[in-house]
Amino acid sequence: MASLPDNDRFFELRFESIGGLGAHAAGQILATAAVLRMGLNGAHFSSYGSEKKGSAIKSFIRLGPADQPIRTSAPVESPDVVVVFHRALLGHPATIAGFRANGTLIFTGPPGEIPDGLAQLPRTANVIRIDAQRIAAEEESRPNAVLLGTLAEAVPFLDAEILLDALNEAFARKRPEAVARNQAAFHRGTTEFERLPDIGRAEGDLPIIRPDPFWGYQTAPLGGVVLNAGSTAWNDLSTSRTGWLPVLDLDKCIHCGMCDMVCPDLCLVWTAEGNEPVPAAVRLTGVDYRYCKGCLRCIETCPTGAMTREAETPGLAERLGQPLFPQLDG
Amino acid sequence: MADLDTTVTPNVTSVRKEHLGSVDEAGQPARIRQHAEFRNGNEAAALAARDIGFHLMGYFPITPSTEVAEALSEMQAEGEHDIAMVPGDGEHGAAGICYGAALGGGRVLNVTSSQGLLYALEQLPVQAGTRTPMVLNVATRTVSGPLDIRCDHSDLYFVLNTGWIILLARDPQAVYDLNFAAVRIGEHKDVQLPVLVAYDGFFTSHQKRRLEVFDDPDAVRRFLGTRDTPITALDPTRPVTFGPYMNDPDLINNKMQLTEAMAAARQVIPEVLAELAVLTGRTYPLVDAYRMDDADVAVVLLNSAAETAKEVADRLRADGQKVGVVSLNALRPFPGEELRALFRNVRAVLVGDRGDSYGAGNGNLGLEIRAALQQDPENRTLVLNRIYGLGGRDFYDADAEQFFTEVLEAAKRGAVETPFAYHGAYAGDPEKKPLPGLPPIATEEVSRGMAQVTRDEASGRLKVELAPLWAMTAVPCRVAPGHGGCPGCGVFPVLHQAYSVLEGDLVVLFQTGCAMVVTTGYPHTAHRITYIHNLFQNGAATLSGLVEMYLERMRRGELPGSSDITFMMVTGDGGMDIGMGPALGAANRNHRMIILEYDNQGYMNTGAQLSYATPMGHRTATSEVGEARAGKAFHHKDTPQIFAACHLPYVFTASEGYPEDFMRKIAKAQWYAKREGLVYGKVLSFCPLNWRTTDDAAEEVLQAALDSCFFPLYEVEKGHTTLTYDPEAVGRRRPVADWLGQMGKTRHLLTPDNAERLKAIEDEVERRWQRLKIMHAHEGL
Repeated sequence: MASLPDNDRFFELRFESIGGLGAHAAGQILATAAVLRMGLNGAHFSSYGSEKKGSAIKSFIRLGPADQPIRTSAPVESPDVVVVFHRALLGHPATIAGFRANGTLIFTGPPGEIPDGLAQLPRTANVIRIDAQRIAAEEESRPNAVLLGTLAEAVPFLDAEILLDALNEAFARKRPEAVARNQAAFHRGTTEFERLPDIGRAEGDLPIIRPDPFWGYQTAPLGGVVLNAGSTAWNDLSTSRTGWLPVLDLDKCIHCGMCDMVCPDLCLVWTAEGNEPVPAAVRLTGVDYRYCKGCLRCIETCPTGAMTREAETPGLAERLGQPLFPQLDG
Repeated sequence: MADLDTTVTPNVTSVRKEHLGSVDEAGQPARIRQHAEFRNGNEAAALAARDIGFHLMGYFPITPSTEVAEALSEMQAEGEHDIAMVPGDGEHGAAGICYGAALGGGRVLNVTSSQGLLYALEQLPVQAGTRTPMVLNVATRTVSGPLDIRCDHSDLYFVLNTGWIILLARDPQAVYDLNFAAVRIGEHKDVQLPVLVAYDGFFTSHQKRRLEVFDDPDAVRRFLGTRDTPITALDPTRPVTFGPYMNDPDLINNKMQLTEAMAAARQVIPEVLAELAVLTGRTYPLVDAYRMDDADVAVVLLNSAAETAKEVADRLRADGQKVGVVSLNALRPFPGEELRALFRNVRAVLVGDRGDSYGAGNGNLGLEIRAALQQDPENRTLVLNRIYGLGGRDFYDADAEQFFTEVLEAAKRGAVETPFAYHGAYAGDPEKKPLPGLPPIATEEVSRGMAQVTRDEASGRLKVELAPLWAMTAVPCRVAPGHGGCPGCGVFPVLHQAYSVLEGDLVVLFQTGCAMVVTTGYPHTAHRITYIHNLFQNGAATLSGLVEMYLERMRRGELPGSSDITFMMVTGDGGMDIGMGPALGAANRNHRMIILEYDNQGYMNTGAQLSYATPMGHRTATSEVGEARAGKAFHHKDTPQIFAACHLPYVFTASEGYPEDFMRKIAKAQWYAKREGLVYGKVLSFCPLNWRTTDDAAEEVLQAALDSCFFPLYEVEKGHTTLTYDPEAVGRRRPVADWLGQMGKTRHLLTPDNAERLKAIEDEVERRWQRLKIMHAHEGL
């Protein structure tokens, strides 16, 4: 039977992720194993909005002694453990909000890289880096299998063997072909992580953040109408990409407009010559990666191979991106 | 009629031993063996349904209750139950399916939430008034508008006056347990009423907890017995008229009987729950009183929030505060007597309502508790009412603490300063200014003649000359980027292609669905033109009303003479199930508008359940694939032919994978919608997530759907059918299997086990294709 560090309160974990990376499934596997096989009581749930694959999600796990009822259904606000499935999320203050002074942060990222946001952590935080994306790609698994392995090592009361069994079982029936690959990814997760000392600069527990909505009842237009037409243009959806982006080779582009017809993210940047209703000529100048979710349909449809798939390295999108609405930056 | 025994017996018979499960050595009923699972409320409802073995489930997917049907579909595919699952065309239809089934004498289940419950609402009193038991699980969710998918009790409160028994389930275990109780309570001879089991959407429906599940469903079935109804609609030897035409002076007596049934339920519910407690070891009193023995004050809350308040009550008790928490396990019948007894010596209570009765000065629970206490002349309890947690706003410990602080303060002062208030609403910051939107699109910028439409005088039909695709990139798109659609989503190419050729000012109405949800996440909008959402039951009617207002105001000279607006409704294929009636109404009235359907072959917004447009055999969350089942059981709906039968000026099909063809058709659509009347178009739209392909497989998959003749491209213009792409004529005809093999949702159809099903799909595709070819060739069709 697993023994929790503090029996007077729940041990709480929060997974910070993007829809499609498997955070919900990982939370479910972990909590199921804890409740059914490690002798703990527990609850698991995820944040649900109406957003789709590619948008931010949080998954919450609350663990307690077997005989302690779990009654609250509110989200985890003071986590003992935060697992960050996509390193871009480290830039958001909400990702580490309420982090406990002695908590553990596991994030996915390449060796050598220490994202800026980490300095906001408490001085006493345990910070662990694992290149889950790369390992998952190499093992043809998913980052969640790698991260579960790392979690099993980083959290002493979790039993790695039980967790791995639970992972295997979750896939055994529906996707038996994935079991061996997940297992390999899990094992690499248990060994290939690095503990990063002296990262945080803050003192004590981090404050909880409950942001106010933009509008309130004294300020919102009546009836919920939205008067700033097209305002989603302010959104930045870069985190929806999962490692790949389309890059335009102007030498090969014939400016035929095919890609524009199939781009779901409406993020291709064109200039037109002549002010006539039907222009004399148009030029594709590039992609506004702020909106590109990396589906790569433009590559599929391009008749000349001018659009190619590139691995997204840090800073690449900023270097190559073209602004669709320059006024947003000014 | 004496043998029907519909009279009320006030003294309900004691425990029916013959219904009990296993017995111990002394012959007394004993606990049924159970095992632990880790399940959420929806799964608990599904497991209970499996163990009860309902005869039939009628349902229509709606968040957050959809997962019950999904879990049952998965179990059905594996042969774990044999409940007949009937997908309704909407919740109104689902309620009708359930009513009819329940009249047939078996056990019936339905599950819904929010608008679904409201859409079914008019059926609820019908079912109670005609005394037809069934079980309806409701994962509670707030009601529109604006649309919000998260929890409150505003949907449930609409049911208070329908004559249904209402049980409340605070956690997944209660969902499981109370479903068994619901069957027995509703079918009891002194009750004979339908029963609703309500649990909190998301907080309970989607939160996994430890759940005790019966090892042996047979033992619990002995507890349930069989539904023993003396009259059914399936006994020709005993003809019965259900639902006569009943005016005064009779109807009031029917309602008196219903009220007496509710009175009987006050006795029956505790008895059934006591019997069940013997089997489960878990008790559910009508009123759940937590630490109330010597309480000075109490907080009253329904379902999950009450559990949070108990945590806080424990802490306050440790500090010496005499506080308690009261919650209800039954809302109808209302346990007024129990509450009067409980509150006799309580100085103040705060009643929290997760739903307002706007203008009443209290929420429903606040009103009912005040009314209950008022009947006790000795009672001096102060009552505070707070509206909290609307639209899914979380209820934290701190919120419960605030409630206790307020109620303790009232008890201390001996007076209530604020009898009614909203808790958790935010006033706003007057200093905050919204981000500007994108600049408005001038009419000229979207009137560039990208499609030149002319009428051929000889045939009376239209011809379209398209500008080259590259030229269309100069047209500003009426939908902005930054929307929340999935990577690869086909909806936006559909919109972008249509908007590239639609000229001038446009007003759009989107029915509920992916395109609506991902473009209008408050406080933002992706729409750069005027956009309206209405629920997908009713979008076409709503837009037709706007069209007629436009024409009338133009006639009266109230709008600028230059006003020239095109009206278009955008809907998914799901909206053409539930919204079919109003859409056909609009078509038959022939309003000047376009209905554009993006067909991605399922209810993708709620997580890929089957729609009627889902082809046979395809895997969806409610047509699962397993040992016993292989996807959807019936063929796809032929919506274009339904609209063609309305003799509209123009009906078409298109694919987002063939932009020129689609754009020629949408240009014609605008021409007809501005001059002659309603146009309907269906566009095949890629959904990589739920078709289970890579995000960049659109072109191949869409082309295979056309080349296999599964999705023929054609138009019906003034009654004349024309194929606009004939894969046979260009030597590209391919077997349907070539298309099915490209998607994860259909790959199972290529296995030898499913050869028969594949043949059925091929035959149907061929039959419909041949029919179209004949229509194409025939002058008069």
